[in-house]
Amino acid sequence: MLIDSILSGYGLFMTPMAIGLTLLGVLFGLVVGALPGLGPLMGIILLLPVAIGLPPVAAMGFLIAIFVGGSCGGSISAILLPIPGTPLAAATLFDGYPMAKKGRASDAIGIAISASAIGGLFGGVVLILLAPALAQFASNFAPPEYAALAVTGLIAIAVISKESLLKGLIAGCFGLLIATIGTDEFSTGYRFTFDSHHMLNGFHIVAVVVGLFAISEMAYQTMSDDLIKKPEIEIARPGFGSIFLTLKHWKNLLRSSTIGAFFGTLPGAGGVISSFTSYAVAKASAGPDEKYGEGAEGGVVATESANNSTVGGTLVPSLALGIPGDASSAVLIGALLILGFFPGPTLFEQQPEIVGGIFLVYLASNIFLLIAGILATPLFVYVLRIPKAYLIPIVLLLCCIGTYALQASVFDLFVMLGFGIVGILFRAANYPLSPIVIGIILGPLLENNLRRSLLISDNGYWIFLDRPISAILIIVNIILIAGAVWFALRGKAHSNTALMDKH
Amino acid sequence: MRIKKLIAASIAAVVISSSAALAEFPERTVENIFPWSAGVAMSVSQIIAKAMGEELGVSLPVVSTPGAAGTKAFKTAMNRPADGYTIFDGYVAPLVLQPVLGNADWTYKDFKPLHSAVSNAFSIGVKKGDPRFKTFEDLMEYGKANPGKLRYSSGSRNNLPHMVIAKVLQTYGVVAQNIPYKTDGDARKDLKAGVLDFSFINVGAYLQDKEGFDILLVLSELDGAKKSYDGAPNITDLGIDTGLSGLAPMGWTWWLVHKDTPDEVADVLREAMKKAMSRDDVKEAITRVGFVPLEWDHTQYDDVVGPVSGQLGAMGNALKWEEEELKKLN
Repeated sequence: MLIDSILSGYGLFMTPMAIGLTLLGVLFGLVVGALPGLGPLMGIILLLPVAIGLPPVAAMGFLIAIFVGGSCGGSISAILLPIPGTPLAAATLFDGYPMAKKGRASDAIGIAISASAIGGLFGGVVLILLAPALAQFASNFAPPEYAALAVTGLIAIAVISKESLLKGLIAGCFGLLIATIGTDEFSTGYRFTFDSHHMLNGFHIVAVVVGLFAISEMAYQTMSDDLIKKPEIEIARPGFGSIFLTLKHWKNLLRSSTIGAFFGTLPGAGGVISSFTSYAVAKASAGPDEKYGEGAEGGVVATESANNSTVGGTLVPSLALGIPGDASSAVLIGALLILGFFPGPTLFEQQPEIVGGIFLVYLASNIFLLIAGILATPLFVYVLRIPKAYLIPIVLLLCCIGTYALQASVFDLFVMLGFGIVGILFRAANYPLSPIVIGIILGPLLENNLRRSLLISDNGYWIFLDRPISAILIIVNIILIAGAVWFALRGKAHSNTALMDKH
Repeated sequence: MRIKKLIAASIAAVVISSSAALAEFPERTVENIFPWSAGVAMSVSQIIAKAMGEELGVSLPVVSTPGAAGTKAFKTAMNRPADGYTIFDGYVAPLVLQPVLGNADWTYKDFKPLHSAVSNAFSIGVKKGDPRFKTFEDLMEYGKANPGKLRYSSGSRNNLPHMVIAKVLQTYGVVAQNIPYKTDGDARKDLKAGVLDFSFINVGAYLQDKEGFDILLVLSELDGAKKSYDGAPNITDLGIDTGLSGLAPMGWTWWLVHKDTPDEVADVLREAMKKAMSRDDVKEAITRVGFVPLEWDHTQYDDVVGPVSGQLGAMGNALKWEEEELKKLN
């Protein structure tokens, strides 16, 4: 049945138009992903009007390829500048940029692209083999499970900011507070909107991320004294050897891709949570000699394989149930409907050739990403040779264009600048920035699902323990918190002993 | 005398230049400010925008500006110049319902209509084969016997489906708990998982997964809507009087511009939208998604939207009733 649908879709995919557009989509996706502000969602929205005039598999190939390329493109700017082109790549900063600083920019990008493509292919295999079963499993995730899962994500802050736990938690709480701004879904009341219609939906996450990372980074770079000097960096030519570098981390790759695909199948969870969680798990299970945070290859492998595997994952509920896994797949569903196909169980039964065609374009997108991405890496790395005096204004201009394009809003530019200042202050005081992003993304997920659960159970907290998956997640959370506290206390005891020995 | 000539010449120059500018309208991108998150409804607006852009000779992007039950998009568009370069995607919730509920300080008369766009009927559905509810009456009997125990969703709160469902429940004297969700899809997922007892299902969602739901009640008296749901019973069949007819219990959108937009500019947009809405490819694409393309032009705006506003205003605030009844139970 499955093979049949792939075979029947083969004819629809093997046309010059479908293959050409898939390749074009990957390249376009890489560019919109790498540019700060724009991302896969914006890329798909921009080109939807073009796609709906095309044959169905070619159209879906074009859009899915943008999704795939865009989910990887953000890592390129994260590694080189260091600015995550999309929030998806925020966790790639941790080790990608230190690698670039050590002169391994090409390797870092090569690994990011290879891990993305392999993670994406893994997500694709999951999609093909398990779509209906996984969609069924994901439907067991109701508000109590989402609330418990959001707590797990918040605990990740403790893991990724091991060196400065308290500062990490403070930054995370700041993110949670920022997330409360906007219209309350339940009472429909306005919170901290100060009578401004711009604030009715809170701050746009992309404007916040660009401000926090890009503006603050550019401000710091202007303070360096080599603004005019052309950087004399010997840039090694990347090659397909990066694939082997990535495969060396096969356990990490497999684990992170599994985490990514799992989060993808849960509507509303998304790639940012999956990349941070994979990073946290990879860091926690790595030996001290791997030096996560200082340019560990495993860090890039974990985040990039996870966020691209999530793409395959989000297609599971989208195609099998007709329920979008995230905002980008919501637009893909819209495109599919306009093209005359109704995603859901009937699509698998009645139009297996379209399902097969979509599977094939998804797999092809990841293969094209691997080949085209690695071949194009020298072009990306060329950025490092541009003197800062030219690079900084270009980046700032791109940040402004990308952020304005989100909602055609000047207010978003002020949000970007405001969070730029916040970013500068946080950096100056040595506070990590990523927990803010985790807080902003997980805040509404936690609050709304907690309140939704209590409404469903009529204010009884037992709903969290009555449901088996939720109960298991809560037990895991308790163990993780206990572990984090234990490690923190032990670390403190060690440093106290070391201090006493010194004296 | 010379000064007078100069003033006259200046006025003439301004008039000529402005009329030249008008003659050239549109010179640049025209934007549609869409009030919801990206999804199927936005894709429908993109279909119309693409066709209308082709008629105008410029691109017409649809900008998703969600928030505050659609009012954020309206306020955003209102703060733009009245030059025709900004189109309001005038969904019923921000255009009529929010003002009726006292959450917005405008009425539908504060805008200049271009053309009607699409409508989308709602229904009440349960999980396929739910042994408790074979008919809508079963659902209502259960609700009466278990006040406050039924859980349902209308997607977000305070939207039109919420108001219409609350009105139907009020008619039967059934108090149920509304659970808000970020997207309609999340609500349908929880309905299928048995977390919710019933939910609003729009035509698009029904077409996508006919095997997933049993439609118990179509919230419209129009035959077209009943047909879209394969003949499921509608409010007329069950003799339910919500005081709503025609477009009133449905989702729909009219495209509008700022009231102060010059007539010449509005006419250019009207003409382009009318042409776009009468194109067969546009109608076909909209129908495929389960939406209904509308054919009313701007001259019929008051006749169509006026009664909707009147009916929604007169039906009383069923949302308030629901809230108060739930409070009494707690």
